[in-house]
Amino acid sequence: MRIQVRRTGGFAGIERHAEVDTAGRPDAPEWHALAERAVADGRETPPIGVPDGFSYQITVDGKTVYASDPRLTDEQRKLISRVLKEGA
Amino acid sequence: MTTNGGFEPVFCTIVPPHVLDRLSQADDPVLAGPARRTLQRDAFERTQRRLTTVIGAPAVALPAGAEPGQPHRTVYDARHGTDLPGTKVRGEGDAPGKDATVNRAYAGLGATFELLLKAYGRDSIDGAGMPLDATVHYDRDYNNAFWNGEQMVFGDGDGEIFLDFTIPVDVIGHELAHGVTQHTANLTYFGQSGALNESVSDVFGSLIKQYTLGQTATEADWLIGAGLLAPRVTGVALRSMKAPGTAYDDDVLGKDPQPATMDDYVRTGRDNGGVHINSGIPNRAFHLFAVRLGGHAWERAGQIWYDVLTGGELEQDAQFTDFATLTVKAARERYGDGEELEAVRKAWEQVGVRTL
Repeated sequence: MRIQVRRTGGFAGIERHAEVDTAGRPDAPEWHALAERAVADGRETPPIGVPDGFSYQITVDGKTVYASDPRLTDEQRKLISRVLKEGA
Repeated sequence: MTTNGGFEPVFCTIVPPHVLDRLSQADDPVLAGPARRTLQRDAFERTQRRLTTVIGAPAVALPAGAEPGQPHRTVYDARHGTDLPGTKVRGEGDAPGKDATVNRAYAGLGATFELLLKAYGRDSIDGAGMPLDATVHYDRDYNNAFWNGEQMVFGDGDGEIFLDFTIPVDVIGHELAHGVTQHTANLTYFGQSGALNESVSDVFGSLIKQYTLGQTATEADWLIGAGLLAPRVTGVALRSMKAPGTAYDDDVLGKDPQPATMDDYVRTGRDNGGVHINSGIPNRAFHLFAVRLGGHAWERAGQIWYDVLTGGELEQDAQFTDFATLTVKAARERYGDGEELEAVRKAWEQVGVRTL
């Protein structure tokens, strides 16, 4: 499974993106479960965010959903921070 | 981790509301269906925000015994979680505690309140003594600060790229100014009106810093977020109002993407249509105007910007030209046919924005 996260906006207006390919990873099942829940709660179009809030684009195996701070589900928040931290 | 400070050709991740409105009226159900559903989904959040604007934030009632013309500050600690507002750690009049972040937030709220009241006769964000709430220590290593429609929220930064977001007083002022905009012109946070919303926050954020330090326009650094970048980052701040595009140039962060004139206006779907990018243009216009007038920028230059923001004529979807034209009008109304009028016209001309 290929999980991509793109973060835009924020006070600094600096964009970040990263991705994780779970193939061959020992923790792949955990990633899959997290990604599936994060995508299930995502929106098909970008929500109107709050001033200076981050906007997120989560793409899992080609399917893209959107979310914005501060209204993220716990799974979305966890997935986003893990991908941006551990991804390449 | 990779970052990308550059911009790709228009990749419309965000569809502006006016486009959705048009699509929803299309005869073709393939076009109209999704647009209608999107509008319905956004309706709830828009209504929430509109209600906050029209009837005021939920906590608008003054505390018992509170007097008008005095700040009513509360600082909360999210304790690295994301529930808002979090645990109350300092109320109005409480002595400073051990947490420097809490103390900075409290002081920054006070500085902002004071500028609004002393310079513009405005009693808090809504002009009616609205309590000022801020939450610090939001999430872990959180590289951001934002205004959620009711209060300010500050992250600690990750220490690698960003430090604590309460460090620069102009960042605190910037967030509170979003509150003032929400309660007045309510500029739509997308495209040029969104860039104006951002610029107004940078202008008043910088003015709060200048007021706190007692600086004149020529003495001020006109930087937004000075002291926020971690030592390893090559840069001086997040934005420069004096020289947009020069605040940082770093191998991790990329280069400051702000344009200084309309010739370099950036068209993008990202960042709500480049609201933190194209704000460089009106930011520089304000700087040029203030420096040409000299003296304290919050006095005449700030007054004219404040008049436009709160005057009732600035439309929610205002473009740069609309805002610029209203500053010319405000300059004439407040100061007559003098140096202010000529200086403001010249400033907009220098950044390539037409005034009518």
